[in-house]
Amino acid sequence: MAPKAINYKSGSIIYFKGDVGDKVYILNSGKVSLNYLDIETGQEIHELIKTGEFFGVKSALGRYPREETALVLQDSTVIGFAVPEFEALAAQNTRVIIKMLKVFSNQLRRIHKRVQTLLNVEELGKPETGLYKIGEYYLGNRQYTQALYAYKRYLVYYPSGTHSADVTRKIELTEEYLSKYGQGKGPEANPEAEGTPAPVPRAGREPAMAAQAAPAAQPGLQTGDRFGPGAAEPDRAAGGAAGARRPAGDADGGGGARAPSRELSDAAKAYYNAVSLVSQQKYQEAFQEFQQIAGSDKDAEYSSKSQFEMGRCLYFLGQKDACIRTFTQLVQKYPKHPELKEALFYVGRCYEDKGDKARAKGFYGKILTMVTEEDPLYRKARKALKSIGA
Amino acid sequence: MSNGKTLSMFDRFRVTFEKGEVIFCEYEPGDTFYLIQQGRVQIAKIMGEIEKTVAILQPNELFGEMAILEEAPRSATAIALDPVTALAFNRENFEILLQGYPQIALKLLKLFSVRIYDQKRQFMILTLDDVEAKVADVFLMLAEREPINMAEVESMEFKATVDDIAHWAGISPAKCREVINHFVTQRRVELHPDRIVVRNINDFARFVSTRRRYQERNLA
Repeated sequence: MAPKAINYKSGSIIYFKGDVGDKVYILNSGKVSLNYLDIETGQEIHELIKTGEFFGVKSALGRYPREETALVLQDSTVIGFAVPEFEALAAQNTRVIIKMLKVFSNQLRRIHKRVQTLLNVEELGKPETGLYKIGEYYLGNRQYTQALYAYKRYLVYYPSGTHSADVTRKIELTEEYLSKYGQGKGPEANPEAEGTPAPVPRAGREPAMAAQAAPAAQPGLQTGDRFGPGAAEPDRAAGGAAGARRPAGDADGGGGARAPSRELSDAAKAYYNAVSLVSQQKYQEAFQEFQQIAGSDKDAEYSSKSQFEMGRCLYFLGQKDACIRTFTQLVQKYPKHPELKEALFYVGRCYEDKGDKARAKGFYGKILTMVTEEDPLYRKARKALKSIGA
Repeated sequence: MSNGKTLSMFDRFRVTFEKGEVIFCEYEPGDTFYLIQQGRVQIAKIMGEIEKTVAILQPNELFGEMAILEEAPRSATAIALDPVTALAFNRENFEILLQGYPQIALKLLKLFSVRIYDQKRQFMILTLDDVEAKVADVFLMLAEREPINMAEVESMEFKATVDDIAHWAGISPAKCREVINHFVTQRRVELHPDRIVVRNINDFARFVSTRRRYQERNLA
């Protein structure tokens, strides 16, 4: 099938935004406008295509929906190429592709930069720390050649960086291990690590995403971060490729004084263990766990979170009176609890289930005054009110 | 394409790597990109405690191509899986490559098309100000890559980890874990060691579009 010339009347549409199409077009004669919303400003953009220009290239080659609507402004003739036809044409006309590549790489550079700017604000990730951690990771996994590469690059780029003294020592150590034990072999723990030897992290040893793997719950946290893979890194959960390099204790981004790290990790670990029990519908066991955390008061944040979860467990267990009591305590103890509105909703539900429509109505009504219409809870509360005939 | 004559023309760009050798390392600045001629190259990222293989590349494939754009830190590590021969180029001499290998130009054109789209999509995620909406939108983005009609399904399973999601959402893995655990307690998400299940993807779609509209209205 050869490329086809197609005639369009003024006012017709060659393709709509969102269409899936596999054709690349070239404007032979006439006037075509590409209309789309700028993703940053939200403003409507009209881009005129000149005769001889290609359009629809990116979405056809990248096989994703059209990002703009191609509107015909004057009677026009366009030639439509299927992707293989376009490729055949382009292979014989390198100049055209190089021109396109320049346009595309400019677009890519622009959007890439914007994305990076947004990411950097959030991630606080520094290439220096990143490179260091790559070395640490490979040393911990006894991939010595890879570790050496990363460490040596670190010294090239950051000869007087934060970790350069440590890296220099690690290079010696890694070279020693490599010649003594060989790639992939060697001692389990890094002998340089002070204090209790912790297991060397190994690839796939434990999926870092398991629900119960609390970010702050690492042993060896108190040994400091100078001796990488042996003493579990303080921010291992937050480290790695894309992650923010934040101290693990700061998982919530909250500032201010915090409980000692040891307490924090225990409470956090216990909390996430219990959350995992909830997701397995083991409400009774989860309730007991949460009760312990809420009662210990070691970490105010996890105590208050646990108080909320206790109420939810009781709700799922069908213990309505206990559920109401628990949430009432929560409201009294933590009047600014982030889940306060949800708590009120559960109380409303309990009263509704108990047949106390008047009280249920009171609680649902209260929620409507506390949240904006955009909040999913608003919809839920209004729906609940409707269903009890209020 | 790769007849003897063309190859010899590019001899001066040829580099070789031993099996297991690191070609470049994540976070390292770099201005070189490579076209593999022989051997395979593993592209990996370290996420948390896990080394994740992003791709295994074969002869005639390109890597490190973002270096054409700017000398930005590498976003992944490239390791030779076999003895590797490659052509190494940079911004200055890559037009020579394109003239000798026009099919590379097409490959790059396709690669850039996909990259631009992916970056725009990620930009949309990052501009959401609500962190739960960001995480939900990452799942939507992953769902859009599947060849299914989202309106026709409810539950969707993703072979992704919390760290992957955090990476796309531009938040710390710790924060991401917290958000996902919250979704778990709301029973909107199931978290498994090797996958994440979104119970109702359309619920996420509604949630994200509501947040986006709300944000736009506040801006206006």
